[in-house]
Amino acid sequence: MFHRRRATMAAFLLPAIAVYALFVLYPLFRGVYLSLTDSVGGPISHFVGMDEYKAMADDSQVSAALWHTVLYAVVVVVVQNGLGLLFASMLFRRPRVRRALNVVLLTPTLISPLMAAFIWSYLFAPNGGLNALLDGVGLGSLQHVWLGDPSTALYSVATVNIWMFTGYSCAIFLASYMSMPTELLEAAALDGASGWRRFRSVEWPLLAPALTVNVTLSLIGSLKVFEFPLVLTNGGPAGATDTLTLLVYRNIFGGGKFAYGVAIAVLLLVTVVVLSSATNSLLRLRERRV
Amino acid sequence: MTSPLSAPEISRPAGKRDTPRPRPPARPHTSAPWTPRRLATGLGTVVLCLGTVLFVLPFVFTIVTSLRTAADVARSPLGIPHSFTLKNFTHAFSQIHYGTSTLNTLLITGLSCVLITVLGALAGYPLARITAGWSTAVYRLFILGTSIPVFVVVAPLYLLMRDLNLLDTYAGVVLIYTAINLPLAVFFYTSFIRQIPTDLEEAAALDGCGALRTFFVIILPLLRPVTSTLLTFISLQIWNDLLVPLVFLQDPGKRTVMVNAYSFIDPHTVQPTTLFPAALLGVLPLLVIFIFFQRQMVAGMSAGAVK
Repeated sequence: MFHRRRATMAAFLLPAIAVYALFVLYPLFRGVYLSLTDSVGGPISHFVGMDEYKAMADDSQVSAALWHTVLYAVVVVVVQNGLGLLFASMLFRRPRVRRALNVVLLTPTLISPLMAAFIWSYLFAPNGGLNALLDGVGLGSLQHVWLGDPSTALYSVATVNIWMFTGYSCAIFLASYMSMPTELLEAAALDGASGWRRFRSVEWPLLAPALTVNVTLSLIGSLKVFEFPLVLTNGGPAGATDTLTLLVYRNIFGGGKFAYGVAIAVLLLVTVVVLSSATNSLLRLRERRV
Repeated sequence: MTSPLSAPEISRPAGKRDTPRPRPPARPHTSAPWTPRRLATGLGTVVLCLGTVLFVLPFVFTIVTSLRTAADVARSPLGIPHSFTLKNFTHAFSQIHYGTSTLNTLLITGLSCVLITVLGALAGYPLARITAGWSTAVYRLFILGTSIPVFVVVAPLYLLMRDLNLLDTYAGVVLIYTAINLPLAVFFYTSFIRQIPTDLEEAAALDGCGALRTFFVIILPLLRPVTSTLLTFISLQIWNDLLVPLVFLQDPGKRTVMVNAYSFIDPHTVQPTTLFPAALLGVLPLLVIFIFFQRQMVAGMSAGAVK
């Protein structure tokens, strides 16, 4: 009787497997195959082996985009989680304002990336909000063409990303703070450990799992960033904010270089998988040590 | 009658009256002297509040500016508003075809959420209960999907949708959202069902209750908390997504809010008084939901990650 139950239960899996296999796994494998052809999206294509990848290796646009994507991810991961941790540790010590400020910090997370990009494209505009603010407080000399200067454009785009998701990082760190055993924290306080000492030797080790989650999430999220550079700069000025996702989109849907775009998408997949699994296993190793 | 708080006082032996009483636990909010440590904490609170204000400032600025007239904003972008108007909103409303596009987005988000939760919960049950090797393998295959960026599959998906005649249909977009969000749902439901004790199901089996009925009568009602967490997460993702509807829905009548906003508004040429109301309208439904379900959503967003 139990055997029959198992069979029926296994049948529960079928719809999910069918949808997942048809619309994720099959396209994934077909994508890898397409990147080895000269397909332009039509019915006719020829197998050309590694040609697209060889072309990619010589394409300075692709190597630049790869570098921007990784640099962008590093900046976002470090600053966003640093700020999130700072906010979380301060909020944890102030129970009276904790909830309210946490909710306020989370509001930017709700906005769609597109809407956030709309808001910031005005703030960053040459005669937009940020420059007007700098002028207003007497720092007119700091005014800058934030998105128009290749040396600041990528960091400006990253700022929007950080603005949106710092509250999210903070919420995850805060949830981890709230689940810490209070006896341990009280013992440290009774021993007279200073604020920094307590953070460094008690809280920081206990935050290790939250750090792993935060770094992994923000890394994957920022490697596949799309809307921010698309709306704010569209890859400009002079390709300074071209990311892998922008190249994929442009090649597949605008440039007629379909297979080339698919090959860049495979490069993006490899980048995401390699970087995220590397940091993930490093952080998990660290979790076990501390 | 004495209050319970004063009871120990009465029972205290008379002779011990003079001994110093143990100090009550320090209450932090009474007017204690300003020690350096308290001062530092107070200063920290001020810095913290300022930092938070800095984070919402762009948001507040957006709301205020969207209510001003274009001429007023042009005169001084950061100045005190002289008059308020709702004209910007009515203008943006028609410019991005807000009524139609909101209905489209609601339809797509709603249908996708239903499919994702139903298929995810159904799949999670056997994956949590069957311990055979193939079950683990299927589970791993689903988990793999959580780290695949949509960009990697978007081109082959486009060809597939074209071949299936699903381009430019709600069904196509809903199926794509269902497929790319299923890994997360399977992960949520499987790990949740694993924590449910099997006693009830075994009793049901002995009573001759089939697997299907067991699932609907025993398992399904227990899945409510994990479902609400999952729903807050995925509905946000789908509502806010630009890429999938941009690529797969070309018919102007079927476009979502994000696609319309993206195609009709160029942020580099329009005035902030056009830009900001459009941005706010896109966020409005979520903001309203957030205000009502704030507690669940904050819990959902952080719980989703701590797992």
